[in-house]
Amino acid sequence: MKKSLLLSAAIALASTAASAETLRIPHELGYGGSESLDPISPQRFYEAIQNMYSRLVRQGDDGRPSPDLALSWDATPDAKEWTFKLRPGVTFHNGNAFTAQDVAFSLMRTQSETIDSPTKGVMEIIDRVEVVDDMTAKVVLKQTHADFPLLVMDYRIKMLDAETCGNDLDALCESGVGTGPYKLVELDALGTTTLERFDGYYGGTPGVQNMELIAIADQNARVAALQAGQVDFIYALSAEQVPLFANNPNFTVQSVPTGRWVGMVMNTTIAPFDDARVRKAIRMSADRDALGKLVYGQGGFITTCDHPVWSGDQYRADLNCDRDIEGAKALLAEAGYADGLTVELFVSDISEGAVKMAEVLQNQAKDAGITIELVQAPADGYWGDVWMKEAFFATGWSQRPADQILNEAYRSTAAWNETAWNSADFDAGLDAARGELDFDKRKALYGELQKELWENGGSFIPVHLNTVRAFSSKLSGIEPVEDFSIRYENVTKAGNEG
Amino acid sequence: MLNLLATVVSRPSGAIGLTLTLAHVFMALLAPLIAPFDPTMQNADTILLAPSAEHWMGTDTLGRDIFSRVLHGGRLAIAVTFAAAVVATTWGSFAGIFFGTVGGRIDEFSMRIVDAFLSMPWLLFLLLIISIGGAGPATIIPTLGFFYGVAVLRVIRGAAMQVAARDFVTAAKARGEKLWPILSREMFPNLSDIILVEGAMRWSWMLLAFSSLSFLGFGATPPTPDWGLMVAQERGLLATAPWAVFWPCLALSSLIIGINLLADAIGKALGLDRASAMAV
Repeated sequence: MKKSLLLSAAIALASTAASAETLRIPHELGYGGSESLDPISPQRFYEAIQNMYSRLVRQGDDGRPSPDLALSWDATPDAKEWTFKLRPGVTFHNGNAFTAQDVAFSLMRTQSETIDSPTKGVMEIIDRVEVVDDMTAKVVLKQTHADFPLLVMDYRIKMLDAETCGNDLDALCESGVGTGPYKLVELDALGTTTLERFDGYYGGTPGVQNMELIAIADQNARVAALQAGQVDFIYALSAEQVPLFANNPNFTVQSVPTGRWVGMVMNTTIAPFDDARVRKAIRMSADRDALGKLVYGQGGFITTCDHPVWSGDQYRADLNCDRDIEGAKALLAEAGYADGLTVELFVSDISEGAVKMAEVLQNQAKDAGITIELVQAPADGYWGDVWMKEAFFATGWSQRPADQILNEAYRSTAAWNETAWNSADFDAGLDAARGELDFDKRKALYGELQKELWENGGSFIPVHLNTVRAFSSKLSGIEPVEDFSIRYENVTKAGNEG
Repeated sequence: MLNLLATVVSRPSGAIGLTLTLAHVFMALLAPLIAPFDPTMQNADTILLAPSAEHWMGTDTLGRDIFSRVLHGGRLAIAVTFAAAVVATTWGSFAGIFFGTVGGRIDEFSMRIVDAFLSMPWLLFLLLIISIGGAGPATIIPTLGFFYGVAVLRVIRGAAMQVAARDFVTAAKARGEKLWPILSREMFPNLSDIILVEGAMRWSWMLLAFSSLSFLGFGATPPTPDWGLMVAQERGLLATAPWAVFWPCLALSSLIIGINLLADAIGKALGLDRASAMAV
């Protein structure tokens, strides 16, 4: 009897320890189970790739490029050739050594016509990658880019093992073999995907033994899962969800100003949004400050004028976008809608406040004679079934540097050009800004592009958000930084000894 | 009719049911006149206020007055489901009386089809049809009317078979009466009590179904004040602002309970035993 009690106690202790070393994070199942482990796939499984792969360069605490797999970099005076010195002694999860060959492979495959990655539009600036030696890669650009390291800081520009991927630049590579802190155990996008600590990680021993990425499509269900202790961490809390965790000692809440936004997209090639006057009338009808207070609460946002560059970015343009109902009515009348306009807006519970924002815009636009009929779509599968398929729909983006977001969302050839914005002048402006070596002139050029988006673009971006996350107080090591900069390898969970 | 009404209200359950049902119908009709605020008016300064003298039921996440929204919240649901209940009761009763009277192979064959429909997960089919046809009343009324009419058919058909075996129907057939006169003169008057109760019951179930559809985003669309939609939008606030969820829940459940009690009392007043009359 005594022996069996001791055995039971030992089993209980062992199971407790194992549980404490598992970090459980929900993912929103945005691609309905089609999530891919290829970081440049349009259906990239963000939470998995973030932990399985590494980048050449990552965000520092100040948001600027800091070393990751590349320890240093420098450029020729015309900023057309960038040389990256790599970190020595790094191995992939399968034991292969990380070399400049892998850098060349990983960067050049982003340009594949077959894969058609959302990163293609941005990375097409690369002409070739030269392997100087095993630990040195030289990137030769087609044109000058004074901020090129910002581009390879992208969360999807991960380094893959060329050998595991068969050196095939045109095929998806979903092996999951990277150099990141966690390696794949089992992929189950519809259920629980399991990762485990990679002991050979170059950045030291990762903080927990296992990670579980649990599919939970509904934000309220994710909140309930954290309350019930079924997950350890959730992000994108809405203003009214914060009190659920704010004064509870079992949870920690972080609110961080970021360039993240939720907005509405008008496809500029589909009537009536193919008329710039209609697009601007809808944008002018919004009272952004009132909208932000209603949806995100006082202090939870910074207003913006439909330009995606956030206030913390060095290239942000200061624009004025006060509400102008009479101006909106005049534009509508010019466009042939003097008696009012009725449009359908597709929304879903995809990002914090998306449905509420649509309701507020609906209410505000009414004053300008614009009737917005809301069509609610299911959250799971939204990004595959609705986003970029309807004429007017909700969207959500995380923070990106100015050059990246302007190229990724508005260059005519970009895969995620969600407004179908097709302007040769705008593309030329993007090239000119990249090629300008003088900072002030470069800033002025980026500013002109942002002004153009306010005047004629198809995006409605009323505010940039504070990203609000809540997590179990058992966790430590989560710094108050924007989402892409969280270093999950530094996250530990009380009870583990790692 | 007055006698029936007097019998119904003489029972406490009947009086409560009638009061709740009529109160909701009148609130829905008079909502634009008696609601203290515009139910769609958003106000950043009044977000999630607790119930007070100004806002009797508090305010929601967009600062809207919940009392005004609850008053308006039944208008669409009551109108849509009442129309759907009429559709379901009409076609279900007619088909039920017909099959219960003619019997034979036509009846057997039809009942297997009815069995197939009854075995289907209705809500999923409703979602499928509405996702194809759109979420407006033009789709929801016939869809609800059809699916709930199947259940009405089954109940009325069972009752009709009992009536069809009675002497006065046999006598009518012996007199050479044609089918339609038998259905309309002999069968229908003897089944109208059950049809009335059945219709009321299906109405209450449809209210729940419509609210479920709104909750799932397939019924009412924002900014329409609707109980199911209100619960869906504010369901994350149960711990921090329960009033935003409680009042629409109370309104919906009180109407459903009211209709149920009323239907029960009508059935008893008419001498019907609902427990045996309801085959499904």
